[in-house]
Amino acid sequence: MRVTLFDYGAGNLHSLAKALATVPGAEVRVQEDPLRALDTDVLVLPGVGAFGAAVARLAPGREAMRAALEQGLPCLGICLGMQLLFEGSDEGEGAGLGYFAGRVTRLATKRVPEIGWNQVEDERTLAGARLDTVYYAHSFVCRAAEASVVTGWTTHEQDRFPAAVRRGRVVGVQFHPEKSSTAGVRFVQTFLREVAP
Amino acid sequence: MLTRRLVVCLDVKGGRVVKGVQFEGLRDVGDPVELARRYEAEGADEVTFLDISASAEERGTLWELVRRTAEQLFIPLAVGGGVRTVEDVGRALRAGADKVSINSAAVANPALLTACAERFGAQCVVASIDAKRDGDRWRVYTHGGRKPTDLDAVAWARECVARGAGEVLLTSIDRDGARTGYDLALTRAVSEAVAVPVIASGGAGSAAHVREAFQEGGADAALVAGILHDGLTTVGAIKALLREGGLHIRSVA
Repeated sequence: MRVTLFDYGAGNLHSLAKALATVPGAEVRVQEDPLRALDTDVLVLPGVGAFGAAVARLAPGREAMRAALEQGLPCLGICLGMQLLFEGSDEGEGAGLGYFAGRVTRLATKRVPEIGWNQVEDERTLAGARLDTVYYAHSFVCRAAEASVVTGWTTHEQDRFPAAVRRGRVVGVQFHPEKSSTAGVRFVQTFLREVAP
Repeated sequence: MLTRRLVVCLDVKGGRVVKGVQFEGLRDVGDPVELARRYEAEGADEVTFLDISASAEERGTLWELVRRTAEQLFIPLAVGGGVRTVEDVGRALRAGADKVSINSAAVANPALLTACAERFGAQCVVASIDAKRDGDRWRVYTHGGRKPTDLDAVAWARECVARGAGEVLLTSIDRDGARTGYDLALTRAVSEAVAVPVIASGGAGSAAHVREAFQEGGADAALVAGILHDGLTTVGAIKALLREGGLHIRSVA
């Protein structure tokens, strides 16, 4: 199974690549070209960088990527990668993939960024991996227009936001599974086994 | 609701974990990757490498060490010590660090915090502040606590955050290594002054001290080092006491 990390150039993909590679048969590769990144069995949008810079890198392949997702390419978006699946962001200019309806806005809390471990409530993203306490490092969150795509929620101060979204074979998570210890690694492994077998 | 975090700090030098022994210099205590993984397994919420290398040759091993660690550690990894430029921060992040703490270089050039936050995001910029009590205030020191500045710790913490720091690592020089407990007044003063997480550091001698840092100091995270490395207590024992105290913490499944 070819698993491709689309690299927007911000770096630090080591833990995520290693977490994905723990699944037998997963060949993990990193690709900076958004069109070439689609020549894969599983696409992973990692979670480092800023929205504006990332969509600029994504732009040449945006339409093709969106079409591939609609046609069933399994995709896991993490943190910023989840945000790229939405329409746009208050963090930066440019269009996201628009696979999920809604916009990315700043956390409506006193403490921004949210840094640390927080709980996921009502979590039902994957059948084989239930999440409890996971690691967050973010200032922005995805305001999903349709609550039906939200498969887990987290509350920071008074702001309740989607921890995870899923439609078909596309999953987005606001937390960092690759930094959420054993439970997070299990989530990544289960994603590959369940959603992208 | 965010959990309170227990951060384990490892002093590294030349790619190894070292420990200061009074009057005898430094002793090699093990492989950083192995120790970091062990603390993750025990339930640590985060690992910090503090690079205490004295030379450029020793420092050169840090990035390789960070890369090896990031491939095997699945909790956040912070790196600090000798970080001077935006390029240093970029190198640490590319190697696999999630956060980088900046101390003396931020005092010398506060704009560095802003430049790093704009380039890499506030969530990876940690302002490391070493403070020492001076009358009814706390004075900021740099260069490993050797050089006094004119800065007031609480005001400086505020400025660091205004300039882009996403967290404050607050070390009491008076308490560092003393094992008499964190400086709770300092911790509280800074926690109340800023709207980003404050990591209390310096003085942990027991699990009860960690609990105090949260309950009385108002810290979001507490850094521990020696008491774990010396086997005086364990991550599990500290977390058990925190849980008993009604604090919200992460349990290891």
